[in-house]
Amino acid sequence: MNNEALKELLFKMADDLLILGHRNSEWTGLGPLLEEDIAFSSMAQDKIGQSHALYQMLQTLGEQEPDAIAFTRTANQFHNCQLVELPNGEYDFSLIRHFLFDTADALRWQMLTQSADEPLAQLAQKIRGELRYHTLHANTWIKQLGTATNESISRLQTSLEYALPYALGIFEESPYENDIVSSGIFGGEQELKTKWIQKINEIISQTQLQLPALTALSPVYGGRTGKHTEHLQPLLNEMSEVFRIDSSAEW
Amino acid sequence: MKSLDPRVNRLPQITGEKNKEPLDQFGTYEVFVQPKEGKPFQHEGALHAPNLEMAYVLAKEAFTRRFTCSSVFVVNTCDVFTSPTTDGNENVYDQIDEVKDGSGKIEYEIYQLLKRGKQHLHAGTVVAGTPAGALAKAKSLFRSDKIVYNVWAIEKNKIRFTTNEEKDLWHTLPEKKFRDASDYKGGDKLKLFLEKKDDLKTWHEQRSTKGITFQNGR
Repeated sequence: MNNEALKELLFKMADDLLILGHRNSEWTGLGPLLEEDIAFSSMAQDKIGQSHALYQMLQTLGEQEPDAIAFTRTANQFHNCQLVELPNGEYDFSLIRHFLFDTADALRWQMLTQSADEPLAQLAQKIRGELRYHTLHANTWIKQLGTATNESISRLQTSLEYALPYALGIFEESPYENDIVSSGIFGGEQELKTKWIQKINEIISQTQLQLPALTALSPVYGGRTGKHTEHLQPLLNEMSEVFRIDSSAEW
Repeated sequence: MKSLDPRVNRLPQITGEKNKEPLDQFGTYEVFVQPKEGKPFQHEGALHAPNLEMAYVLAKEAFTRRFTCSSVFVVNTCDVFTSPTTDGNENVYDQIDEVKDGSGKIEYEIYQLLKRGKQHLHAGTVVAGTPAGALAKAKSLFRSDKIVYNVWAIEKNKIRFTTNEEKDLWHTLPEKKFRDASDYKGGDKLKLFLEKKDDLKTWHEQRSTKGITFQNGR
């Protein structure tokens, strides 16, 4: 089996989860409802926990320890898709991103429960309840606001159209795509994307939102190979501020 | 206005502020938690939500993000039929009359308050035609030597329960001890800080007796 192929998969998954976990945690204390503030913060914590587990797996494959991986790389060394690094904007965008990303994430992990890589398959089993909650939360909000008022529907529609090209960037293929599929580690981005389109269609069709023709959109690629928007480096600076002052600090 | 919190400075400007309509707020939903498989459900509190499903989603984190449990359910506050609450040592079942409610076949969950200031606990399920009939049934089935101060009857099919496949929602919660204040070990951290501070003070004193001064001391 090709270690580099597995590492590439782990890195992009872990970086997606760390960066989105950090972005979503920026809502802590500022959420639109007390209960939602708590729920969104908990899920951000889950994502960072999941990224930590993946960084630990990378460490067993010879990479640095999780804190060093998370806090000492610069933007061009990150493999997350650009969707997750975009600023939070207003809550409609954060919810749409949560819905689009978490749907793909839950499906990815569901595929990974069958992975030939034992630790990855075990982790996928372990966190299935967290993922179930994340998608339940996202779907319920989208169905609620996607049918509520003219304002909520048009806000979600605008955010959906803005986010979709970035969301398609989740499925940017790896140079090791064939290895990763043939070795049974992961079913591949194409299969994931097909499942994802089906799932988001299923939810969107229960609302008054319109899903644009996805084939007419140009996916925003580059994130998986370290090409990022101007928003990622400031996020990393903020996230690693304490670590850079005192790498042994506990807080 | 500039904040010391960069997240606040990044928030979008609010334009076109308008006053909220009076009474423009979500309704309330009651939240019940089963602490362990096999234990009775107990009332935990209430929250605001736009509908039953949203209430379930929000209740899961608002009420069970710290202490592990096996199941949660929510119900609209309007669907909780309550008896009067008694004074002193009076048993509420003494105030509940026999009701003729025919051949109704609605299932009601019965919750009893057995200790003032504590939560209502699940007593059992009864079948009746009306909530008042359900309370009367509860009297005949659950009355014992124990004083009950208040009883609730909740129509079962109005409840959003946790489904069997959703029982894994709390699967990783036992590992999230970091959410408990006790896990932060604030006392230990303070002790360590104070010890370090004393060391620093001694060090400063020794330095100053040697006649060394600091321009930018820490």
